Amino acid sequence: MREEDINSKYNITIVDTDVTFKCARETHLLEGMRSLGQKGIPSGCHGGGCGICKIKILSGRNSYITKTMSRTHISEEEEKKGIVLACRVFPKGDIQLNVVGKIKRKILSGQKIWNFS
Amino acid sequence: MSVIKIGHVNLRVLDMAAARNHYENILGLIVTDEDSEGNLYLKGWDEWEKYSVILSPSEQAGMDHIAYKVENDSDLDSYANTIQNYGIEVENLDAGTLVDCGRALRFKLPSGHIMCLYADKTVVGKSVGNVNPAPWPLDVKGVGAHWLDHCLLVCPLDPENQVNTIADNVNFLSQCLGFRLTEQALVGPDADIQAVAFLTVTNTPHDIAFVPGPTAGFHHASFYLSSWGDILKAADIMAMNKVKMDVMPTRHGITRGETIYFFDPSGNRNETFAGLGYLATPDMPVITWTEEEIPRGIFYHSGELNTAFTEVYT
Repeated sequence: MREEDINSKYNITIVDTDVTFKCARETHLLEGMRSLGQKGIPSGCHGGGCGICKIKILSGRNSYITKTMSRTHISEEEEKKGIVLACRVFPKGDIQLNVVGKIKRKILSGQKIWNFS
Repeated sequence: MSVIKIGHVNLRVLDMAAARNHYENILGLIVTDEDSEGNLYLKGWDEWEKYSVILSPSEQAGMDHIAYKVENDSDLDSYANTIQNYGIEVENLDAGTLVDCGRALRFKLPSGHIMCLYADKTVVGKSVGNVNPAPWPLDVKGVGAHWLDHCLLVCPLDPENQVNTIADNVNFLSQCLGFRLTEQALVGPDADIQAVAFLTVTNTPHDIAFVPGPTAGFHHASFYLSSWGDILKAADIMAMNKVKMDVMPTRHGITRGETIYFFDPSGNRNETFAGLGYLATPDMPVITWTEEEIPRGIFYHSGELNTAFTEVYT
């Protein structure tokens, strides 16, 4: 691998909110976003287990690689459509994405603890 | 006849090599066995039974089952009757079904989580032995967790549809298995919905706990450390290893425990928990947290809930 490949940083864009950040190929998208203080993708376990950082990649299958994600949250069919967990996605090109849904799994919400959806 | 302690938790992991590194080298548990199906068995240095954690390869993160130990083998017959009479189906497991354990019972809590009871598990001893023991072993790895302390499970709660499996679990475990409620949070307009519950079978503040959620799940498995200094060192070791922490060292109001929350490489939450809080003898009055003080009950210093802690589970 050439040195510029190892050091490559790609432009990641959250289309709906027009947030952009740079992410290295050895860094997953969620860590890349968080380490630059950017927001937009919900942050959870960073291990592909909790499913909170679900995104849809719009830039095509060649723009990223993935590591194992819990099938509780990402079916094989979804994975093929580019619906993945941001904490298991590593860029190999510029990426455009959208966040899938909002946080739905509230277990305690302070003043409205009994009124979660 | 009694349930005497938490026995083990069986967690599902997505990447066994990464999980092994986490639990062995960072948490400091000791691998005691590995079977042909790829399950890994681990214990803390201060534990004597062969394992308190089973890691199982899976495509889905989360908890497979949680097990508690009963005092005598004959207790299993009594508990099987009690549980069945309560209206919960019980499966009798032959010796060896739970690896290195005698016969066991398996049943579902009202929340849907699978619980097992066993009376006998192979004893391999503490790392420091039983004769003139050192206070801790020199060869401990990572944060050097002493033992599996407790687990917290996410249980379905939907008061509008009269669903409260936290309260259902409390009733079942209290009536059938002798668990004692130590702390609870009561919420709702009439403060009559038991939304958070901590129960014990020992003298520690909790051996199991329940919080509400839309679906049943696994919130965390907690491992004991002996002091606040150990908690700081544990956080240092986690940072050195780039472990994802979601709650930095702080104290709980509930249980008074000193804590760090973090994730294993499959997203299952772990806790390192220090301090034994208080002595929870059977005559201790139940501690109640009101709805507006729940955030302080959970994170005593900030008094604020963080969204990852409350909404993220496997």
